[in-house]
Amino acid sequence: MRRALQILLLAIPLAAAGTVIAAAKQPQQVRDLHYGEVLFHFYQRDYFTAITHLMAAQEQELLRHHHTEANLLLGGLQLSYGLLDEADRHFSTLLTPDSDPELYGRVSYYLTRISHQRGFHDKAFSTLQKIGKSDDKAMQAEVAVLGANIRMALGQNKEAADSLEVVKAPEGWEEYLRINRGIALLRAGEIEKGRAVLDNLGTARSDSDEMKALRDRANLGLGYELLRAGDPEKAREFLNRVRLRGPFMQAALLGAGWADAELGNYENALTPWLTLIQLASFDPPVQEAHLAVPYALTKLGDQQRAIYYYDHAIRYYDSEEAELAHAISSVESGALLSMLGQIDTGDSGGWLRSNSTLEEVPAGRYLIDVLSGHDFQEELKNYRDLGFLQNVLDDWLENTEIYYDMVDARRQAYAQRAPLVRQRLLEADAETLGSRWHQLQVRLQEQTTRGDPLGLASSSEKQQWEKLDSVQARLRALPAEPRFRDMLDRATWLRGILYWQIQSDYRARLWGARKQLDTLKQAVDEAASRQQRLAGQLETARAGFDGYDARINALRERIRKLLPQIQTARNSSSNRIQRLARQELESRNQRLVSYRNQARYALARAYDQLAGNPEARP
Amino acid sequence: MKNWLRTICSSLLLVPLLVAAETQPTGLQDEVQNLKKQVLELNRDLFLLEEELLFPSNTQVSVFVSMDVGEFFQLDSVTVQIDGKEVANYLYTQQEIDALVRGGVQRIHIGNLRNGEHELVAFFTGKGPHGRDYRRGATTVITKGLGPKYVELKIVDQTNNHQPEFDVKEW
Repeated sequence: MRRALQILLLAIPLAAAGTVIAAAKQPQQVRDLHYGEVLFHFYQRDYFTAITHLMAAQEQELLRHHHTEANLLLGGLQLSYGLLDEADRHFSTLLTPDSDPELYGRVSYYLTRISHQRGFHDKAFSTLQKIGKSDDKAMQAEVAVLGANIRMALGQNKEAADSLEVVKAPEGWEEYLRINRGIALLRAGEIEKGRAVLDNLGTARSDSDEMKALRDRANLGLGYELLRAGDPEKAREFLNRVRLRGPFMQAALLGAGWADAELGNYENALTPWLTLIQLASFDPPVQEAHLAVPYALTKLGDQQRAIYYYDHAIRYYDSEEAELAHAISSVESGALLSMLGQIDTGDSGGWLRSNSTLEEVPAGRYLIDVLSGHDFQEELKNYRDLGFLQNVLDDWLENTEIYYDMVDARRQAYAQRAPLVRQRLLEADAETLGSRWHQLQVRLQEQTTRGDPLGLASSSEKQQWEKLDSVQARLRALPAEPRFRDMLDRATWLRGILYWQIQSDYRARLWGARKQLDTLKQAVDEAASRQQRLAGQLETARAGFDGYDARINALRERIRKLLPQIQTARNSSSNRIQRLARQELESRNQRLVSYRNQARYALARAYDQLAGNPEARP
Repeated sequence: MKNWLRTICSSLLLVPLLVAAETQPTGLQDEVQNLKKQVLELNRDLFLLEEELLFPSNTQVSVFVSMDVGEFFQLDSVTVQIDGKEVANYLYTQQEIDALVRGGVQRIHIGNLRNGEHELVAFFTGKGPHGRDYRRGATTVITKGLGPKYVELKIVDQTNNHQPEFDVKEW
């Protein structure tokens, strides 16, 4: 049991979700084939099929050797498939603090994690307390970060920072703990402490891309925090640490320019901003840099170049606005959803699965932030999962139509064959067989009482005996000549020999007869039972066909009832996806309009200044 | 412009790193959960009905494939013949092989057979020891009785001779 739980600990939704805890590599010992079949689907992350087969096998009582594991696995599968409430209820009945502590802790961890993801922070905080301390240090770190995020979501920033301070991080986790602690401290108002933690992280050496990106993020965050706090000199120091080939390069260049500008060093500010506007990008830092470059040139008194760059910026914003208008109309016409439907792989989904690439989605380049956002991703999973359910039920609706025909075909075959079978049953009446066997038994009993060996003679012996009787009778009827007398003596002698042979074998013959009668009894009983069953089946078959019809009807009714509900939910989901995308695009559009208005206003001012200063004219 | 700075700062600093941003719970999520639960239960009932109708227990025969360790044999495909007729020919993906190695069991065939004896032949194709192409067959006679018949085709590593072994087990 203990071993089974250990395997399960690794197998439950960790395979789908864990960043640290690898899925079980140790083979599971399967003692019920149907349990192994469930595992086969589970290991391929086909949760829908795995749950269906597991529930069907439980219904058919095919999991006798894996009863407990199957129940636990069902909870894990439900959790992976996004049936949080169901999994919660399931585990509540199966697990108590007295159960295997590691399993209890791990299940509680996943309940906590999903509750937090769904925004149920109070519930998440409650299940967090049940997790307990794992022997696995990576798990300890993961729990600590999860706990800190829940506390931050509940506004307990100080407690979040404190909880991260006491955790001993294993390799690969220290940076995550530090950045989360730095964030918690800043949010708790402990600015200096928070800065110190992030500063320390920002200078940490690392070889992995993941850690380098984390370091960049800490430096960028701290740089902007210092800019907001009015310390551009220090901010520049942190922004300079961000790698120019990393994912945060654009934001760092923009911030570095602003730090220089805040210090009044517009010449220096131009370097990162000019680099930005040369990028073929429509990301917000590049958009803003298009406005920032002429702004710096104006500050430097270079009105002519400022006019050139304002003009350039307006053209850039115009072209971008046209693209955005196209993207918005694509979203409104449903092209986004149609594309999302096309890239749907048809797998059964689940909340712990990630969505596939969205590169081909129209307007995708504008929607990077919203598409990668948790809210959108969750909605997309709902949309896809509902689509999968819809397909499953549509298929069943089609298949069950054929089942009617199958049942009808069987009904017709029954109608044709049943009379013939009944006739055969009458002919081979089991009752007659039984009474014949009973007669044989009476005869054997009489034979045993009588003890006459001739009663058990074989048919050939009986023929011989009768022949000798006849020969003797004929010889006696002949004249009393010596040659006839010799022949009669010889026949009498032969008769004696035959009788002696039969008599000497009598016990064995009696035993053999009894044995044959017993064997016959079994066969007669079986025939009677089979006949009875067959007769019963003949009577119930008709009712069985009607029963199938009723079952198919009831199941089809359930399908018909569910399909519109799924469609309604899917429509709500698609509306929400479209709304989220439209909101993002419109907010980008508004920002763009604002930038362009500022550029136009600044351009007009620059022309005015140029008009008031004839020396500056070209 | 300062506003944008504030947006960047908050998005960079306030979003937890490991767990994605929080979302507001919606009624739709509960509804999706409820629909998934109902469809799963319905799917189970339909699955059971289908099996009962298409493969009644008195004639049902299922053939399963399992693998133990799999170090000496990298499975590519399995072909199953019953009474000389091919009933399954399956080519495996890496994901399916991983699932088998970890203890999963694949139902490769479900069908119907009359009571009595039947010859089952399975061919296993893949890479054997030292990466050589490998094709082996296993033959057995199965006896179909009254209830459903389950047959397991097992690929087992033999450590004594570093060779794979192919067993057929009747359940």
